[in-house]
Amino acid sequence: VAVGLLRRLAAARPAPVFVALGMQAGAVRETLALDPRVELVDSPRHASVLLVAGGVPPDQQEALRRLHDQLPRPAASLWFRSEPFIERGQAQRVDDRAALPEALAGLHRDLLEGARPAAPHLLPDQPPHPWKGQGMHGQGGEGMMGGMPYGRPMAMAMMDDVRDGLMLDSLSFTLGPFYPALPPGLQLKLTLQGDLLQMAMIESRTYPAHASPLFFAALERPVPIAELEIERARHHLRRLAHVLQLGGLGALARRTLADAARIQPGVRLPDLHRRVARSGLLQAIDPGLGRLEAAQAYALGGSAYRATGSSEDARASDPSYACLGFRPITGEGGDAHARLFQWVAEIEQALALAAAAHGQSLATGTQAQVETPRGAMTAEQRPADGSHLLMELLPGLEWSQALLLIASLDLAALSPYPADQGAA
Amino acid sequence: MFTELLQPMLLVCATLVLGPYLLKVLDGAIAASVGHRPLGNPWIAPLQRGAWLWLQPRNHTERPDSLNWQLAPAAYLALAGAGLAVVPWSATLIATDISTGIVLWGSVEALATVVIFLHGWSANSLLPLIGAYRYVALGLSYILISMFVLISVALPAESLQVSAVVESQRELWNVIRQPLGLPLFLIVGLGVSFWGPLNFADSADLSGGTTAEVSGPSRLVWKWAQAAMLVAFSAMAATAFLGGWLGPWLPGPLWLMLKTLLVMAVLPWLGHALARISPERFVTLAWVLFLPLSFADLVWAGLEAVR
Repeated sequence: VAVGLLRRLAAARPAPVFVALGMQAGAVRETLALDPRVELVDSPRHASVLLVAGGVPPDQQEALRRLHDQLPRPAASLWFRSEPFIERGQAQRVDDRAALPEALAGLHRDLLEGARPAAPHLLPDQPPHPWKGQGMHGQGGEGMMGGMPYGRPMAMAMMDDVRDGLMLDSLSFTLGPFYPALPPGLQLKLTLQGDLLQMAMIESRTYPAHASPLFFAALERPVPIAELEIERARHHLRRLAHVLQLGGLGALARRTLADAARIQPGVRLPDLHRRVARSGLLQAIDPGLGRLEAAQAYALGGSAYRATGSSEDARASDPSYACLGFRPITGEGGDAHARLFQWVAEIEQALALAAAAHGQSLATGTQAQVETPRGAMTAEQRPADGSHLLMELLPGLEWSQALLLIASLDLAALSPYPADQGAA
Repeated sequence: MFTELLQPMLLVCATLVLGPYLLKVLDGAIAASVGHRPLGNPWIAPLQRGAWLWLQPRNHTERPDSLNWQLAPAAYLALAGAGLAVVPWSATLIATDISTGIVLWGSVEALATVVIFLHGWSANSLLPLIGAYRYVALGLSYILISMFVLISVALPAESLQVSAVVESQRELWNVIRQPLGLPLFLIVGLGVSFWGPLNFADSADLSGGTTAEVSGPSRLVWKWAQAAMLVAFSAMAATAFLGGWLGPWLPGPLWLMLKTLLVMAVLPWLGHALARISPERFVTLAWVLFLPLSFADLVWAGLEAVR
């Protein structure tokens, strides 16, 4: 009886889901975060369902298999707009986003009620670098330093110190491509010395982002400014929510995501600036963190470039925006603080523009170029990937600062294909 | 026999069960109001989560230190219980009224650092290890503060016995007599229970830090112990600064409960309102601002005591 009661209680909780984001998944994580039937978790160990959203390139299938096996059994997996593993023949696939929360909650319930066989492990449960059983300490070689115990080199300070002359052992490992605190697809090879990052290499770049079809339509015909600006505000609100989440403010992040979901022409967010300024994020991010050189900021473009003081904005050359009295907002400093408040200011500006443009039913006045949330786009040129900047920016940073810095940058290239209708 | 052995045990165990539950209820309600979104029934949600964790199987990592990995959550819970044991509920209802209660409390804080490190280290995995190291590296910064603050409340009582500390507040609560004490003690509480702005061990940027590899009952006990530690800190804050069981009309235990609940509402709220502070900035704040303030608190208390 007691176990039955526990099972019923456990089945009624929101389904704990780990999302592995692939390519062209849309804002699936952002919408699921708002659904009361689902709870997104940060570690596969805390999940009962693995959701693979979007396509995963062949070279990352192995990482996905490992992730799949990291969920404590019984666990289930669900594929959303993605091809399931071949060996999981009858794996469940859902392509309709509206049906996703119920499917996830159903899998969680079925697992607890024993109505569904748990997903089997795909990989053999054995150490990737087996125990050699040789040498005094089993290190697989002669003497203290020989061999590689469990495939890891002996901890030794092999590189110059980056801070205070205290030599600490270096630790190298790979983070990503499904690490929830990193942008989807980004895979970094990091070397840590103590609590500082010593080296960062890009093993695979961030997946290209898919902008709303509206931005592509704006290169062909006039589109309503109100809708364009709402999309822009939504994009920045989601970026902001990610930073809040990473700073440990899950509740405020959900509130910001809810704002992103509900905004429409005429809606204003008067408390947004206060929300960010009072959240302690300014104390969470060291001043000067991730300051971009002019050339680096130019390469990234968009709001990151404007946060360094540049006034480059494709909207400035549009006569319709001129009617609305548009002037680009510029920031100062070009560090993570500046980018954060640049987002806040541009969200408020976009909502104001949307309200004004909606009243006059104004459409864009030029098709030569359009300012996407990532930067200016023309028919020939789109914002390019900025992942390589991390190799210069990350060394010397402490862990939490490094991840907040990555979150403060919009690194993904803009894909030549618009997002699926209804997926943005 | 009953009053000597069973009653203290029952008292501490009941607090260890009900306290964390109430804390989770409060936390859920505060999260829902900060996030402007209902998150299910706050009274039932902690039970559902607990039941699921209880049923979820344990996982294992490559060659963990299994013994320490299993023991760390239990040890942390035991530390919270030891802390709660010295909190007096009334002049007579005290689990253990040892003459060195304040010292015992100090040792709970110090040992908690060891246990949290063990929890992260013994998983033999990367993210928990980073969380554990980061936590220990910052630990000394607030444990010193805690020492000065607690000695300050012992001064007017002229005793290290917690019940004497309460008695010394009969005319004036320590929160007024030593206004710096309570805020500093709450900072220590956030640190020792790695909560909200001082969550350096189990944070989101490490996918849960020391818990990143833990599932099932171990995680349940760890989460439970963390909440119990916050409850213990709330009860101790209520005792050392808000006059403990003292108060008119109502019986002593009820007063202690009300005051503890008040502090218990403040700590989760801080967790939802303030982002995790940058480690570097925290170290600077702790040594340059909080530690001198705790000195000032001690000097203030000393001058006040000889007056």
